[in-house]
Amino acid sequence: MNAIGFAWRSLVRQPARAALGILGVAAVGALLFDMLLLSRGLIVSMQDLLDRGGWDVRVSAGELPGSGLRIADAVNTAEEISKLPSVQAALVMRSATAQIDRASGQPLRASFQGVTTRSTDPAASRLRAPWTILRGRDAEAPDEVVIDEKIASESRLEPGGEVTMRASCVADLEALPATRLKVVGVAEFPFQTTNESTTGGTLDALKAACGGNVGAEADLILVTSKGDADGTAAAIRTLRPEVRAATNTEVVGRLQQTGFTYFRQISTVLTTVTVSFAVLLITVLLTVSVNQRLGEIAALRALGFSRMRVVKDVLSESALIVGIGGLLSLPLGLLLASGLDRILKGMPGIPVALHFFVFERQALAVHIGLLMATAIIAALYPMRIVSTLPIAATLRDEVIG
Amino acid sequence: MIVDAKNVSRVFSMPAGPVTAVRDVTLQINNGDHIAVRGPSGCGKSTLLHMLGCVEPQTSGTLLFDGQDISRLSDARRSLLRLKQIGFVFQRFFLLPMLTARENVELPMSEAGVSKQARQTRAAELLEYVGLAPRADHRPSQLSGGEMQRVAIARALANGPRLLLADEPTGELDEATGAQIAALLDRVNQAGTALVIVTHDPALADRAGRVLMMRDGQIESERVR
Amino acid sequence: MWLVPALAGAQEAKPADVLVSRQLAESEGLAVGSVIRLSTDAAGTRAREFRIAGIYEPTPDPARLGQVPRSVRLHLPDLLEMTRPVDVPAGAEYVSSVNVALVDPKDADQFAKDVNARLPGVLALPAGEAAGSAGPFRVLERFHLAIAVVTIIAATVFLLALSIMLVDERRETVGVLRLIGLPVHRILVQILLEGLLVAGVGAIFGLILAVLSEQLINQFFQWRYDTALVFVRITRDVALTCVAIAVPLGASATVVASWALLRRGGLRLARR
Repeated sequence: MNAIGFAWRSLVRQPARAALGILGVAAVGALLFDMLLLSRGLIVSMQDLLDRGGWDVRVSAGELPGSGLRIADAVNTAEEISKLPSVQAALVMRSATAQIDRASGQPLRASFQGVTTRSTDPAASRLRAPWTILRGRDAEAPDEVVIDEKIASESRLEPGGEVTMRASCVADLEALPATRLKVVGVAEFPFQTTNESTTGGTLDALKAACGGNVGAEADLILVTSKGDADGTAAAIRTLRPEVRAATNTEVVGRLQQTGFTYFRQISTVLTTVTVSFAVLLITVLLTVSVNQRLGEIAALRALGFSRMRVVKDVLSESALIVGIGGLLSLPLGLLLASGLDRILKGMPGIPVALHFFVFERQALAVHIGLLMATAIIAALYPMRIVSTLPIAATLRDEVIG
Repeated sequence: MIVDAKNVSRVFSMPAGPVTAVRDVTLQINNGDHIAVRGPSGCGKSTLLHMLGCVEPQTSGTLLFDGQDISRLSDARRSLLRLKQIGFVFQRFFLLPMLTARENVELPMSEAGVSKQARQTRAAELLEYVGLAPRADHRPSQLSGGEMQRVAIARALANGPRLLLADEPTGELDEATGAQIAALLDRVNQAGTALVIVTHDPALADRAGRVLMMRDGQIESERVR
Repeated sequence: MWLVPALAGAQEAKPADVLVSRQLAESEGLAVGSVIRLSTDAAGTRAREFRIAGIYEPTPDPARLGQVPRSVRLHLPDLLEMTRPVDVPAGAEYVSSVNVALVDPKDADQFAKDVNARLPGVLALPAGEAAGSAGPFRVLERFHLAIAVVTIIAATVFLLALSIMLVDERRETVGVLRLIGLPVHRILVQILLEGLLVAGVGAIFGLILAVLSEQLINQFFQWRYDTALVFVRITRDVALTCVAIAVPLGASATVVASWALLRRGGLRLARR
């Protein structure tokens, strides 16, 4: 009977104890797995969100897009950028706050994203808007708008309907006349947060909704490169030193240093605590189990079992408990992660499409590695007990006891 | 000659001072010997047995097993020696409770690298030999004391040892069962295995060819039948 | 704001005073009395000279964890003068928020209601409610609570496993007591008292460990982020809650583990 078979028989000898030990490892392992998913989850999710739109360079006036600063003379800046050899397309985006009148009760607060849809070059194709059309079509004319699902369901609007909107492009304190816009589509806005409503249209539509009170500024210029995002960003910085051009990776890198850093740190702390906890508990379990079987182990040694063999038996027992518990921890961890993700997404300003816990093969590999290390470290002390067991003295004590 | 022990001693270091459990014992064990070791509690019988079984190192003196100096062997070599040349039978049986009788008997053979088929055949033979063939698939908790000791004897014989050491093999058994075990050990010895038994039981000792009386760690007398 | 290179020779006879954060002072080698130039852009537009009147430790802001607080504090008129757009006349600037300290903080709710009623266009909120239930720290609190619940579940499972093993070690003793004639409930009381003692001592030991960890964690993260923010704080309520959970859990685990054992007969328990 090999060491694993022997260890299996030792475990099933006390099924309640073994089951509890395995369940404990599963619970701790689930937490460990989740912390590993959390450590890079936001980064992976944000990267995916940024890459999804097809825009690989973001040009803003502040350190990060959405910082509140605006790019001066944005349309001309975008035109210059689009003429760079490594640039495929450049799209100007400007946001405004808006109120959508509803027949029943309070107006609905929303944001209005206005984008340029065409380059000044008549030969250039239509630029793709930074949202995804779910129903209907994209807005093209100055009196057209697309809305999100939330507005569509709360206002009972579909493509073909109309909205009355009051938008402010300067400050919330402005009181502006209402503008009627045709709803031509329902769209998904990737960076929309849970409590937000969003509409989108052309820059001209935005200007119309704001009563023409819009300067030449914009919040963001989205750029698609022809393959070399880093080179494109560098070229933009050379062309216009007063703006900040960042590739998606650089944006994520900056976010990592600011808002995301807490989750990385908490994940590291909790990973360390969880692994230590698991090592401690499994060590105690194994040590008590070994101490209860010292007589048997001494007898096996007397019968000719080598030191290496009895040590392997203990290690195999640890491997089985951690291995089976570890396997169970994966579906348990994924279930727990979905719950924790839901809790964290309750934070203000978090896009609906952003996730804190994202499955990555790397996280799974680290999880397996940590569990293996746990099994080995937890078995060290009980292995030492069996390898240094004084055979004769133990046999004597068993008789006396 | 299987074992040649010359002036072997074993001293234990205790907080209250050193304790000499075995003092200057000289002993030879040959093929087919049947030796009983008797004496009052604490006279060093079990310690001597453990030294002969390469489980307890001697503090001084020389102990040769099959001409090899035990003290010069590594722990791995000593384990191998115990596995293949020496069999142990304990007072408390020490059968593994999660294995069946058959699996307990197969265990030393498995450790010695014997093939599965050969193990199973030999285990069946040994259980038949000790009269427990019908109980081969029973666990120790389903066996009586005498039956457990018979399984333990079968296990000790698994790898065909030259020397069988038994430490109070009938200590936990009633008289009738003890007699059965004694008869079984006789058969083992008659088949050629040297036997050394530590016992308080005079009836068991009387079946031996040589009876060593120990007192205070020394062999006080030896009676040859 | 940008800290732009100083010009050779003072430009202003009496520069206005500013305070700079410790982190900025350390990174730029500034000291009290130094004269610096601040501008609203990197090009140095509308740069003005200021004299450092003091160096302050910024109030730790958890929302800005990871960002080294390189900041300056100006008198509001100086800031407004520098940041006012050229087409906005002086006196027509606006601020984003006003913090109000009340004589009696308990009046916060009523004060907020009064301001909202009298000043349309502004929103007054008591500081504790500013974030609401969706505030980031409330969300983090729920997150930490969820982690704590999972940890307690895992610990309870392990505790049960260990209790079963330890109770099993005393199987013979319990069997003998039953054979002697002690009733089950008497033995259970004994076990419960032992469980309470062990759990109590364990809880106290755990608290000591937690207090030590608190020091270590705070020291590490304060060094890591160069901040005075406190990351872990074990309050009296937290300690009492932990003890209130740990002691009954520990005692219950021992009783539950023993219960299955005590249901067996004494003879069966005492037999080896």
